[in-house]
Amino acid sequence: MIYNRFKLLLSLLGTLMSQYGTAGPMGFDESFMAMGDFNNNWRESFINYAITPRDAFGVSATYMRADDKTKSRTLEEVTYTRLLKRWNAPHAQANLWFQGGIGALQGTDKQLGENRDFNKIMATPGVQFDYETTRIYFQAAHRLYRASDLNHDYTSVRAGFSFYESDYDKTQPWFILEARNMNSLSEKTEVTPMLRLINKSFFVEAGVNNSREPRFNFMYIF
Amino acid sequence: MKKLLLTTIILSALLSHAAFAAQTIKANVNGMVCAFCAQGIEKKMRALSQTKDVYVNLKQRLVAVEVKDGQTLSNDTIKDIVKKAGYEVTSIEMSEHPVAHIKMEMEAK
Repeated sequence: MIYNRFKLLLSLLGTLMSQYGTAGPMGFDESFMAMGDFNNNWRESFINYAITPRDAFGVSATYMRADDKTKSRTLEEVTYTRLLKRWNAPHAQANLWFQGGIGALQGTDKQLGENRDFNKIMATPGVQFDYETTRIYFQAAHRLYRASDLNHDYTSVRAGFSFYESDYDKTQPWFILEARNMNSLSEKTEVTPMLRLINKSFFVEAGVNNSREPRFNFMYIF
Repeated sequence: MKKLLLTTIILSALLSHAAFAAQTIKANVNGMVCAFCAQGIEKKMRALSQTKDVYVNLKQRLVAVEVKDGQTLSNDTIKDIVKKAGYEVTSIEMSEHPVAHIKMEMEAK
């Protein structure tokens, strides 16, 4: 009963938020940030609103699938993002973020030809650190994806460089290499080289991972 | 008569200079390395009723805000907006050049 009400609340929130737009963890004060991260086994849509320069609340929908397709998960959650610390240097910036959420998880495990479906409440607290100049980028993130008897913790590391510096209102191309792992869903580390294009209005990344599957990410602030 | 003429010429020169000189606030900002992340500064500056034009230069760490004729904008307002966007103003200077001129100057560097 409580679970169904929680799901309904999340759906309503999602519907309300979707009228403002389609899908870094947060934008500037009083802005919305929409984000999407899509490949065959991980599809995430996320939108949040910054209520202060350091705090944002949002909703997120994530689909996760095991490499061998025996497990699939769908998670709808409400999220909170907090800029814990920012370091500003003359030509660099570093940030430490908290990202967390709580939501409704629907799961399916295929065992011996039978499907076992279940519903759980999942909590997803995590931290992210990033360092960036106009030419280099580094990010490390670890986020717990936990429910009773479930652990799909997510770890990622990204590093890259821009091909050249560009003006504020021009598009800047970057090369980004990401390695990530989703516990109990994938035995291997997914490695994806990506081309990132940053403009003052948009942020997109596209690449092909070490399983030869395409990957696409975007962020948009409004 | 000569004195009156001279005074008129001097006053005209001074007034015309004041009338045509732009007022632009140039802020040096730490941490501004990414256009996507710095867009908040530009949007918040443009939202001010006193703002005529805004120019952001990542390489020079510069945010220039040109103020509309007859309006004023305090340094504290600029600092506050930059701080709320997550960055840090290290110095501020005034310029009589419009943003278009500053932009041209920066791009020639």
